[in-house]
This record gives sequence, C-alpha cells and structure tokens, in this order.
Amino acid sequence: MEGNPKIICFTCSWAFPEWEIEAPPNTGVIQVKCIGRLDPIVILESFAKRVDGIIVIGCSPPDCHFIEGNLYAERTINLLKKVITLAGLEPERLHLELVSPIENKSFLNLVERFVERIKSLGPLFKGKEVDEEILFNIQAAKQAVTWSRLRILSGRERKLTEKANAYGEKISQEEIDRLIEEVMGEEYIRSKIYLLTKEKPMSVEEISKRIGVDSPLVLQHIVALRRRGLLAMDRIEGYTPLYRALEVD
Amino acid sequence: MERLEETVRKFPPCRAACPAHVNVQAYVCLIQMGKFKEAVEVIRRDLPFPAICGRVCFSPCEDACSRINIDQAVAIRSLKRLVADIEREQGRVRAEPIPKRYSEKIAIIGAGPAGLAAAYELAKLGYPVTVFERMPEPGGMMRYCIPDYRLERFVVRNEIEYIKDLGVEIKTGVEFGKDVTIDSLRRDGYKAIFIAVGAQASAKMNIPGEDLEGVIHAVDFLRALSLGKQIDVGERVAVIGGGNTAIDAARTAKRLGAKEVMILYRRSRQEMPAHPWEVEIAEKDGVKFYFLVSPKRIIGENGRVKAVECIRMRLSEPDESGRRRPIPIPFTEHQYEVDLVIPAIGQVVETWTLPPEIVSKDGLIEVNPLTMETNIPGVFAGGDVVSGPASIIEAVGAGKRAALSIHCYLRGEPLKRENLEEVTWVKNWSSLSKKERRYESPVEKPRLSFEEVRAYLERVQRAARFEALRCLGCGPCAECLMGIDLCVKDKAVVDENRCIGCGLCVEICPYNAITKNENGVAQVSEELCKGCGTCAARCPKEAITMENISNERILAAVMNAIAEVT
Repeated sequence: MEGNPKIICFTCSWAFPEWEIEAPPNTGVIQVKCIGRLDPIVILESFAKRVDGIIVIGCSPPDCHFIEGNLYAERTINLLKKVITLAGLEPERLHLELVSPIENKSFLNLVERFVERIKSLGPLFKGKEVDEEILFNIQAAKQAVTWSRLRILSGRERKLTEKANAYGEKISQEEIDRLIEEVMGEEYIRSKIYLLTKEKPMSVEEISKRIGVDSPLVLQHIVALRRRGLLAMDRIEGYTPLYRALEVD
Repeated sequence: MERLEETVRKFPPCRAACPAHVNVQAYVCLIQMGKFKEAVEVIRRDLPFPAICGRVCFSPCEDACSRINIDQAVAIRSLKRLVADIEREQGRVRAEPIPKRYSEKIAIIGAGPAGLAAAYELAKLGYPVTVFERMPEPGGMMRYCIPDYRLERFVVRNEIEYIKDLGVEIKTGVEFGKDVTIDSLRRDGYKAIFIAVGAQASAKMNIPGEDLEGVIHAVDFLRALSLGKQIDVGERVAVIGGGNTAIDAARTAKRLGAKEVMILYRRSRQEMPAHPWEVEIAEKDGVKFYFLVSPKRIIGENGRVKAVECIRMRLSEPDESGRRRPIPIPFTEHQYEVDLVIPAIGQVVETWTLPPEIVSKDGLIEVNPLTMETNIPGVFAGGDVVSGPASIIEAVGAGKRAALSIHCYLRGEPLKRENLEEVTWVKNWSSLSKKERRYESPVEKPRLSFEEVRAYLERVQRAARFEALRCLGCGPCAECLMGIDLCVKDKAVVDENRCIGCGLCVEICPYNAITKNENGVAQVSEELCKGCGTCAARCPKEAITMENISNERILAAVMNAIAEVT
C-alpha cells in the first residue's frame, strides 16, 4: 500500500445524511440497513479480501432506527475484536463509532482519523508468506464465529448480563467476558484443526506442529470435533491415525 | 364493475388518514437519511402536488400521528414543502412523457385538483388524457381562489407543468356545457369522461341588499383578484361566514389596504369550520372577529353599500346531531358601517352547466360511492362536485379513486382496491420512552405560520432531518422502494429444517416479531418484521436469512467497493 491503506466503512443509513457521506481516498463506504445486520462472518470475510482496516459507523443509543440494532452491533464488534486479536491482528483494525444522528460531527473527519490510526499500524498484508499465515488465521476466526457455540453465547450476552437467565440468575459482565474468551480460545483452535484437516488428512503430531499447540490438547479438541460430527478418522498409517474434516452443510 | 376485489393492507396511521394515502412514513424516513430527491419521488407516487399540499393542506396525517401521544405530531406538511421547494430551486429534471399503452381517449372536465390528479394517474397508467378547463389557466381553486400569499402562482404552475410533461393535454378556455358536452365528447372519440368541475358558485345569503354595489362574494372576490382585476376595498370591510374562504378573503382585504376588516360569524369560535391555526394567523394580521352575529340586511345609499345590519344570536342546546343551532335574540339589531361586504357562506355547484339527469336533489352530482360512476355509463364524477366544498387533498383522493375506477371500466376488469381502513402500528415500543426523551420538537407549536416554518426549515436542512427523526416509524417497513443499495423492503425468513429452536432470535428481535410455533421452530410475523436483520446476523445455525439482503449481497458490495478503491 503506497500511501493509503485500504479501508472499508460500514455505515447505517441514518447516522449521517446523504450529503455528509464523503469518503477519503482508498475507502469504500457501504451503507447497510442497520449495523446490527452485520454478520461477524461478513466482517471477517472482508478482512480476508485484504483490507487493512474496517470502521463501522452507527447511531449511538438510543437513536437506532431499529431500536436496538446498535447495541447488538456493539457486542458483535467486541467479540470480533477479541477474535481478530487471537488471529494476530491488532484489534484497532476494527473500530466501531456510534454517533448520534443529531450531533454535529463530520463523517469525513471520523473516517480520516481512523485512516490515520491504520496508517500508523502499517499494512496488514506485508509479504507473501506472512500473508498466507494471516489469511489462514482469518479463515479460522471466521470458522469459529460461524459455529453455533460462540454465536449463541454472544447473542445471549445482553440477556444474560442485563436481564437474567432461565433460572433468574444475572451474570456479571466480567464473568461473561471470561466465558466468551474461554470458548473463543477453544473454538479458534478447533477451527484451525478443522480447516487443516479439510485440506488433507493429518495426524495429531502434524497438527500440533503446524499450529503450535501441545498434542494432548489437540487430541482433546479432535475428540470434541468428532463428537460434533465435524471430524472423522480417515485411516491409520502405521500406528498413527490420520484425521479428516467432514463436509457439513 | 360489480365485483370488488379488496386487498387488506396494514398502514401506519398517517398514511391511512391521508385521503390520497400518500406514503408519509416512507418520505419522512428518506428525509431522515437526507435523501430529499427520493422523498419527492415517493410523494409524487400518490400526489402530484407536493409543493402545493406542503403549503395549504390541512394535514390530517399530522392529526393522526402517533407522536402526539408523546409531545407533538411530526411537522409532516412542512417537511413535504421543504423537499418540494428544494427540488424546485435546484431545478427539477423534466419528466419524460409516459408512453401510451392504451388507445382509449379520456376526457376530464375541470383542471382543478381532482381533475388533474385523475389525469395524472391515468397518464401514468398509459392513457391519452385531455383536460378541459374554462379558465385561462389550469389549477382551479388552487390557482384562482387561494390567495397568492398562501400559495404562490409559480408553485402551482410548476406542479401543473410536471403533469403536462408526462403527456397530459390541457385545453384551457373550453367551457363544459357550452363548447363541449358529453355528446360532443363521445362523438370526438372519448371513451370515458370524468367530471370534476368543483363547486364554483357562491351560496347566496338571501337577505335584502345582496345585489347592491359593494357586495362581492368571497370566491368571486378572490377569483377577480387572481385574474388581475382591481378591486377597491375601501376602508372598512365585513366578511360574513366562518370558513377558510372567509379567512382568506379577510386577510386578502387587509393586504389590499382596508383599515378595518371584520369577520361576522353567527356561531361562536368553537363552531367555526375554519382551521383554528388559520383563525390565529388572521388575528395576527389584525382581522377582527365578531361572533354570534348574523346579517339581517345590507343597507345601501345611492345603490352602494353603506352598512350591514346584524342581529345577535345565541346558541341552542345541542340537538340530536350534537350541533348547537344559532337562534336570533329579538331586538338586538345593530349596524356596522362598511364599504365592502364579502359574503363567504359557502360554495355551491353550478348545477345549470351539468346534464340534469346526473344532478341530485342536494345540488351535487350523484355517483355510485364505490365506482364513482354517474348514472350515465362511462361518465364519472368526483371532487367538490360530488362531495360539496372540501379540501385539495380530498379532491386528489377522489381523482385517484376515479382514475382507478375508469381504468377498470375501460379494461372490463373488476375494481381492485386496497382497503386502507385497517390501521396498524408497532405497539410494543420498548424504545418509546427513550425516543421521547431524545427528540423534543424543535418547533414550539406543531403548526406555525408558513413564514415561520419557511424561515425555520430553510435555514438548515439539518433541521428538517432532525424533525424527520422524530418520526417513530410506527408502521412496518415503509416501502419507499427507492432501490437504495442495501436498504430495501426485507423480511426475515426461517428455514424450518435448520432451526434448532434455541430461541435466540425471539430474544433479540426488537419488535417481538419472532415467536416459536408449537414445534419449537421460529416463526416471523409479517406485520411486525421490519427487516432489520439483527436476528439473521446472530442465528447460530444460519436458519434465518433475509429475503433480499443476504450476507453474500453485502459481501458483493464489499468486493465492489474494494475494486473501486484500487
């Protein structure tokens, strides 16, 4: 990237009026109905399209046109920040900005400030081999947020912390954050195992070396994945079983 | 024409209240986004006169607005005026003539709001339409009887220009009953005729002295001025009557230099048919109101008005209809010395110009209320000539309904009508209290004078957006259908085979539109779903997808954006 980083800006149609939306160079602006509509998969897939930073602009509470879409978007972005950190990206590459539609803020300034921050971070995709690694990590992160475990947890986050669960218990924000991080760590590793064995059948040892996780732990995750019906033993070479990911629709 | 196919649809209260069913929520929503041009386009779908109605409509939409329950109605009319004015000032793109799909010629008598609205609708359907107007310029009451300080002439001309651009032919100076008749039109090959001549004549007071020099009826007074005639109003003017026309005449007389203008009305202020805000403005202009007085005779001197003699009235107890009749109090006669008397006690249809077989006993045209057809087949009527004096927007509504009926008549199809009676809005407002705190009306009163609103709204477009944001959006998706990239009418769709019944969507939906059915599978209510997609973005099993905006579509937009920036 000579000079300008590649930036994608998602914004809802209400945060800024049409005449305000003016993008700095190298920034693509995509107006969506509601930023609550943004699926974590979409954001990670956008990163996989080799952009350096993503800024999401919506309305600050309580101005959401769809009542609470912005609050859900906030949770999604927090989750994504954690997951991209796991994938080795700086969390600053994803930024959520909530502005009131009646505030006197400049869209251009907002995005330009973000561009400056990304400039100081440098490009996300630097060279061939490093890129492969980052892309693989992003794909793994994407797989992790596609599976239901994290999605259910993050979708329930607001209810669990603001209201109560089915037993009338309220969970503190710290507790749920810890829970999400724990689940995310597991799911991220499982995603990597799943993606690797999708390419070719692999042994525990090979996987362990490839992703830098101890082999007993890898085996634990393999067991979990097999239980979910995502992984199966392909064949045994010598005394080493090889595992292969199953195509699940 | 016997069969009627009705489709019941749910509409927000503002749209249902509007006689022309203008899609209010949609254009207010577009103003929120700052898309003013698109907003005008949405208004034009139902109403060819955004700038006119933005000025003089009595805005039943605002009376129906749900926001009234919180503070005040959204200033819908002012918003409409603003977007229309912005469009005109920036220079409207000339509308393309609409290609003619059908060969049946249609004649419309009267280029007032009803006639022009019908012509507009029929031209949009693809019919060749000719409008006949006896005055030198089209526009009817809008052009001739609304004073130009309320409705500037160039505004009327501009709106009619738009209708002409679509291919509607307007022939002025042609009088119905004299230059053309139903038979002559039929001979000229017109397959359907729509009579919308309005109520042009003034109602007579039938008191002595009404024919003296210096007595001029309100509509004649206003019309003469619009035609450029000079009228000497003298120093003191008495306007008789309590309707909007009376107010217009009084304010006009004041502007022509009368020192004292008084409105004499036989009931009290509460019973005045004029809109209260109009009365307020007239008072600001210095018009005096005398209530509970009725003219008994007009006294003349040398054939000219000298004074008007009135008698005091009192109101009876409410009768069965709830109306309080005025009863004269004996021996309370008194006189007001005046130079000009302007009776404004109502307009009547000029029945003598119409074929006698379609005129009812009340002096109006009788039509089938459903099809608007008169008892002569192929001849339709609507507007003031059917309803008696009413408003522009009601006339537009009548014109639209007639146009649809004429279309069905010519095509030999059953009349398809959307039943807009049923009103709905999202009732479970979790955000109502939030919005309440948030947006207080920037205007002190919901109805300001036009000058104030203009000054307020035109200063900044931001203010318009601010005002529009007060809209609660209480209907379902407003269906602006403006083809905005990723904001189209959308709906969550559940794939029953994938749904695991986790209930996440039920918790998330801000509109409580999702419920679980007896099998534990999520179910989306069509009425309540606004298509925000918050549920689809979180469904753990990808069981909920959006009908129109899928993840793939958003990603395609991302790809386009990337391709553009590099």
